[in-house]
Amino acid sequence: MAIRHGFWIGLFIGLTCPGVVRAEIPAEIDYSLHIKPILSDRCYKCHGPDAAQRRADLRLDQEKEVLGRVITAGEVQESELFRRITATNPDERMPPITDTLSLTAAEIELIRHWIDQGAPWSDHWSFRPPRDFPVPEVDNDRWSRNPIDRFVLSRLPGEGLHPSPEASREQLLRRVTFDLTGLPPSLNELDTVLEDPTGHGYEQAVERLLQSPRFGERMASIWLDIARYADTYGYQVDKDRFVWPWRDWVIEALNQNLPYDEFVTWQLAGDLLPDASDRQILATTFNRLHPQKTEGGSVEEEFRIEYVADRTQTFAAALLGLTFECARCHDHKFDPFTQREYYQLSAFFDNIDEAGLYAYHGKSIPTPTLLLIDQTVKEKAADIEQRITFAEEKLQAVAANRSTAFQEWISLPAEQRAFTRPDNQSQEAESTEEKLDTSDYQLPNSPGCIAYLSFEDGNEQGTHQLVPGKQGQAVRLNGDEGIRMKVGNFRRFEPFSVALWINTPDEKSRAVIFHRSRGWTDAGSQGYQLLIEEGRLSASLIHFWPGNAIRVRTPAKIQTDQWLHVAVTYDGSSRADGLSIFVNGRRALTEVVRNNLHKNITDGGTDQILIGARKRDRGFSQGLVDEFRVFDRQLSGLEVAQLYDGDSLTSALQDTEADSSGQLREDLYRYYLATRDRKYLEQLATVQQLREQRSKLCDEFPEIMVMRELAQSRPTYVLKRGAYDARTDQVQPGTPGVLPAFPNDQPRNRLGLARWLTDPAHPLTARVAVNRLWQMCFGQPLTRTPEDFGSQGELPTHPQLLDWLSRYFVDHDWDVKQLLRLIVTSTTYRQTSSASPELFEQDPDNRLLARQWAHSLPAEMIRDSALVVSELIVEQIGGQPTRPYELEVSFKPVDREKGPGLFRRSVYTYWKRTGPAPVMMVLDASKRDVCRVRRERTASPLQALVLLNGPQFVESARVLSERLLRKHPENMGQVIEDMFRTLTSRRPSASEHKTLHVFYERQRARFTNNPDRAGELLCVGDTPTNAELPKEQLAAMTMVANILMNFDESVMKR
Amino acid sequence: MHTLCTGYDAPAAFSRRQLLNRFGMGLGGLALADMLDTDTTAQSRVVERLHHVPSVKRVIFLFQSGAPSQMDLFDYKPLLNEKHGTQLPAEIRKGQRLTSMTGSQSSFPLVGSPFKFQQHGESGAWISESLPHTAKIADDLCFIHSMHTEAINHGPAVTFVQTGSQFPGRPSMGAWLSYGLGSENRDFPEFVVMVTKDKGGQPLVARLWGSGFLPSRHQGVRFRSGKDPVLYLENPAGIDLVSRRDALDTLQQLHKLQLQTALDPHLQTRIAQYELAYRMQMSIPGATDLSDEPEYIFRDYGEDARQPGTYAANCLLARRLAERGVRFIQLYHPGWDHHRNLPQSVARQCRETDRASAALVRDLKQRGMLQDTLVIWGGEFGRTNYCQGKLSEANFGRDHHPRCFTIWMAGGGVRRATSYGRTDPYCYNIDESPVHIHDLQATILHLLGIDHEQLTYKFQGRRYRLTDVHGKVVSGLLA
Repeated sequence: MAIRHGFWIGLFIGLTCPGVVRAEIPAEIDYSLHIKPILSDRCYKCHGPDAAQRRADLRLDQEKEVLGRVITAGEVQESELFRRITATNPDERMPPITDTLSLTAAEIELIRHWIDQGAPWSDHWSFRPPRDFPVPEVDNDRWSRNPIDRFVLSRLPGEGLHPSPEASREQLLRRVTFDLTGLPPSLNELDTVLEDPTGHGYEQAVERLLQSPRFGERMASIWLDIARYADTYGYQVDKDRFVWPWRDWVIEALNQNLPYDEFVTWQLAGDLLPDASDRQILATTFNRLHPQKTEGGSVEEEFRIEYVADRTQTFAAALLGLTFECARCHDHKFDPFTQREYYQLSAFFDNIDEAGLYAYHGKSIPTPTLLLIDQTVKEKAADIEQRITFAEEKLQAVAANRSTAFQEWISLPAEQRAFTRPDNQSQEAESTEEKLDTSDYQLPNSPGCIAYLSFEDGNEQGTHQLVPGKQGQAVRLNGDEGIRMKVGNFRRFEPFSVALWINTPDEKSRAVIFHRSRGWTDAGSQGYQLLIEEGRLSASLIHFWPGNAIRVRTPAKIQTDQWLHVAVTYDGSSRADGLSIFVNGRRALTEVVRNNLHKNITDGGTDQILIGARKRDRGFSQGLVDEFRVFDRQLSGLEVAQLYDGDSLTSALQDTEADSSGQLREDLYRYYLATRDRKYLEQLATVQQLREQRSKLCDEFPEIMVMRELAQSRPTYVLKRGAYDARTDQVQPGTPGVLPAFPNDQPRNRLGLARWLTDPAHPLTARVAVNRLWQMCFGQPLTRTPEDFGSQGELPTHPQLLDWLSRYFVDHDWDVKQLLRLIVTSTTYRQTSSASPELFEQDPDNRLLARQWAHSLPAEMIRDSALVVSELIVEQIGGQPTRPYELEVSFKPVDREKGPGLFRRSVYTYWKRTGPAPVMMVLDASKRDVCRVRRERTASPLQALVLLNGPQFVESARVLSERLLRKHPENMGQVIEDMFRTLTSRRPSASEHKTLHVFYERQRARFTNNPDRAGELLCVGDTPTNAELPKEQLAAMTMVANILMNFDESVMKR
Repeated sequence: MHTLCTGYDAPAAFSRRQLLNRFGMGLGGLALADMLDTDTTAQSRVVERLHHVPSVKRVIFLFQSGAPSQMDLFDYKPLLNEKHGTQLPAEIRKGQRLTSMTGSQSSFPLVGSPFKFQQHGESGAWISESLPHTAKIADDLCFIHSMHTEAINHGPAVTFVQTGSQFPGRPSMGAWLSYGLGSENRDFPEFVVMVTKDKGGQPLVARLWGSGFLPSRHQGVRFRSGKDPVLYLENPAGIDLVSRRDALDTLQQLHKLQLQTALDPHLQTRIAQYELAYRMQMSIPGATDLSDEPEYIFRDYGEDARQPGTYAANCLLARRLAERGVRFIQLYHPGWDHHRNLPQSVARQCRETDRASAALVRDLKQRGMLQDTLVIWGGEFGRTNYCQGKLSEANFGRDHHPRCFTIWMAGGGVRRATSYGRTDPYCYNIDESPVHIHDLQATILHLLGIDHEQLTYKFQGRRYRLTDVHGKVVSGLLA
């Protein structure tokens, strides 16, 4: 087949690199490939998709607006657009002469030709599904090995180019070993390939590398950049966080060659898969890896919105190759995405029970989370759960069967029914109670009051004002400071009750009545609290708000300017139905706001209830409080009523008709069980013990942030200018209109989104993935802007090849290893990277792929190579982040390790966002603040300093020298030969060998004269020095290794 | 003459000769940094002259992190003393948002400054008694009383000043300049950062001097106060300069042997990279060693300046680096976040910074360097006129206030002895001539000869600027 597109490459270079290659006018102009990039870059700013910025009501990104209105097909002179871009009158000229952008003569010429040719229109190339291009036939092709080669080769003759010869076997093995495992080949591996008689040695090596566990680690380092993976939360405070199990999941998934469509589906929506496994849910941590905030005084919703935005933009950048971020504040200026569509897409990621701030105090994990526990522990937890259920059922049974005992008790004369402490009350509780002035008690017949404030003696009110109260005096709270009570650090398995009188002067939208916590959002609200929210009473027990908590709320607003008696009682069950609010002695109707408490509520807490205020929260300003009591048990209804009216229980106990029937009997029965009945109380103690066991077990469970869909969708809004507090229209989850329609048979949630994304006909998903895999093997992707497949992105250098590979990838079930196998076994891949001066001059950027591309190795590979050649490397897969030498000199220094952690691969290096590993940063690693799909490559003197002087590298140089000196004692020539080969994968030339040998001798002489210096050099690093080797010899050879590790060929991929 | 790129970064894989031929430029036209850039991916550059004649060649930014209180230092508000203890009037607050630290507070009592104010210099600038040394150089300074910002918390606000965006991911000002102006200098980085040691306070983060999406060589190099001012600058134990030179010569021989076999610009880059590293090793220790400074310098900067890592030592070091041609020198002095104990804390912060800041300006002036240096003193936002927490006789605190704050500038092209802009008598809103952070950034770039709308970098399809899509040069600040 004739290669129709051969002509446009030269032109393309001309467009994107002014002055590099002269522009040519293609015979047949394609709108999408040739014209649109010009219009997009120079005109869309004012005449593009963004309605707000559009001038003259003209948009040049839509066919119907352009043809007929400003362009008359075939008639250049009749076309207003052409007249304006060539106008000599500065008032008419476009782009305006005041603009910083302009059109070149070649671009104007191109537009003229296009209009001449009838101005044919086509959709943006990357929004059309990949086309089924036939593999080109090339005459006399003895070069190609697979279809990739034929696509590449077919283009070259037209450009007057020939492919480059194959790289040497050694260089090729080095290249593919780095590309697939991130490590250099060993000497044995080199020998195997060099001595291979079969001619298939290379292919066998590729198979070996694809199956190596090192493969997953290498591929993961790319994915971690995309996923903005870091071991800390980021922003400013930047505490550590526990997310590395997700990183290990990535490595494992890549090693197991999980098909790409599943790889992304699990990460986007593993939690929504039918019968989702823990591994599938763990994959969704991907969405939670964005930076998170805890700085004091931050607005919670502002950052929650930021997280949703980050997830949305990461989805678009990583998987669609689109710069969706631009549409957050306004319609996209270049691509046909509206601001509304941005928020429709973001709605998919808005729907989890999360907070915008993580806890500064305590260690609670931002919800939603997954408990990382294995089967044995799960069974243990299930067992306790079951035992609790049985015990609770038994408690119910006991409660139902104590009528006889009750009858005995109720038949006693009234004075004998009075309370006497059961024997099983602890001594401690008893002594506490005895310290209290019992004369003030209105509950003479109940145990368990551990604290009481009456505000009568004038010492309890702090700086607050005393005013006439419900009983004697009450306190008027100033809302800024709380009144402290030194009790109340209840654990979630402990029943407790708090009762008080309140009087609110106005309807509070939010007011803290009392709480036991170290803070509001500063502590994830961990503890318990009674609040007024929107005029309603709200009681909660919280591990991390909102996802790990129970909360009940009265649906009715409370009255203002009236004394109300309020009590909160809790049964120790960790369930919302165990938490009650009483108003004026009656159990209030409540609605359950949250019912998901599965961790402690006391992390770092102390015995301290605060009344009327909380740091950075809104206090109960001008509210009155009186008669505040804390109990270490769940009060029965009759007791609460007694606290309200001072009479209910007293009269009931004296009521001679109490044993009759009806409500009073029922109330008394409950009271009797809760305070008197030994059998019931024993069973209650059993239940409580089991709950305590459960609590202790659960507190040990590691927890990791994941996605879990809210049962009820959270409404998502278009935000004006992207501001969190500028809500406008509500939107439903949806995908951009120019992309394929959302499938009707899929749910409008992340799983549906993943299905939409991985539909075989999706125009972007496979292209973006294939492009990235190509980039990994060729140093540069086919679409040179892997982060932007939109109007402003570059066109692929080989559009047909990109399409063909995309279809191949999908047709082979998204098999990543198979695609890599195809790429690295192609003749194209095997070419040498060195270019003849002519080739270099004609195609400096290697857009035609008539050679391979040399570039410096990524940070991880440079450091990992040093560990491999010295054999210091510790080849453990996964686990805790490690802290090598460099971390003690980072901007946020942390203690380095002393042990194997120094020698783990760099993919495991602890990543602190506010002060990342400095060696990695100097070597151009991604900062991991936001999603990045490629790294810049630079050369700076700071890199030289790191490789020359960094202890990791100096130590590796010494240990490598030791190893080779022991291998070839007294044969310096052989040591240098092996060292050179180990580091560069080739043998040194005679001149290179001589240069190094002479250097070695000079250094040896220097160290012989300065033995102390040799000793000092050999002490760098923790690894002990081999004492048997002569110091001056080892030191001098270390110097040789040190410069060889800085040698261009050691740090370049060629 | 300076060169300036407005479009993309330098192209890949050209030899220096080719690059020069292509753009028809002489050897002086390209800085060494450009040559070092051959390993970036392919993007061509548009090399132009500076947009206009620059007023200054370099910037020293004395960043006061944590947000100093404008009305206790520079913005004299006697009304607050009169109304001390009374509530902030609702018509002044206008319902604007507060931080969640005081947003829930039930009362907002105004606090007058406990510091005495006097007018200084010919301009009669009001300055608090806590800054006696700054007061003496009042006529060299241009005070901007009408700064305002968008962020309300430290992290976003400092990021905003340094990168023009509240959120992570954008290049910092120094990185933009390194990218735009290239390197003047073969022995030092173009962009150096120094943080006062052991200060605590609001944490600073490395992205504040990061390169964002620009190539990482443009990121600021943080000078440490220890033995290695630059990461691994010092040779390992046992390797002296002679050995190192020998090693580098040998390495160069190896590289030259390779050059004989292949045309490869990477190799030339590599050679230059190691030479530059060596020159840094030779130059930086001399620059950071203050022992050759005369006694009077320490009298002027204060005895603190003998102590490595103090603000005073960093100011002195800033002058030495400015002399050596470093273009952007960024100091950070944390500890200005005075939510409580403000009177004592302001006094302490001033003791640590006042003398050295003034000495630096005077020192530059004596050396004739102030005329082509821009010195900026300021924080990320202001503080509230009302009290945070409890107002007592001797003690109080102030919360964050983004709606007005004061900074000062000095140096070439800046109008001296000037107070620009005015806040209302409550020091809450701006009455006259507001200056937004983006305006300040535009003005700084203007002073360096750059049109802020033209210093752009195309990333993800969009041309980014330090000033986003905002900012105007504030002509009232210019001499």
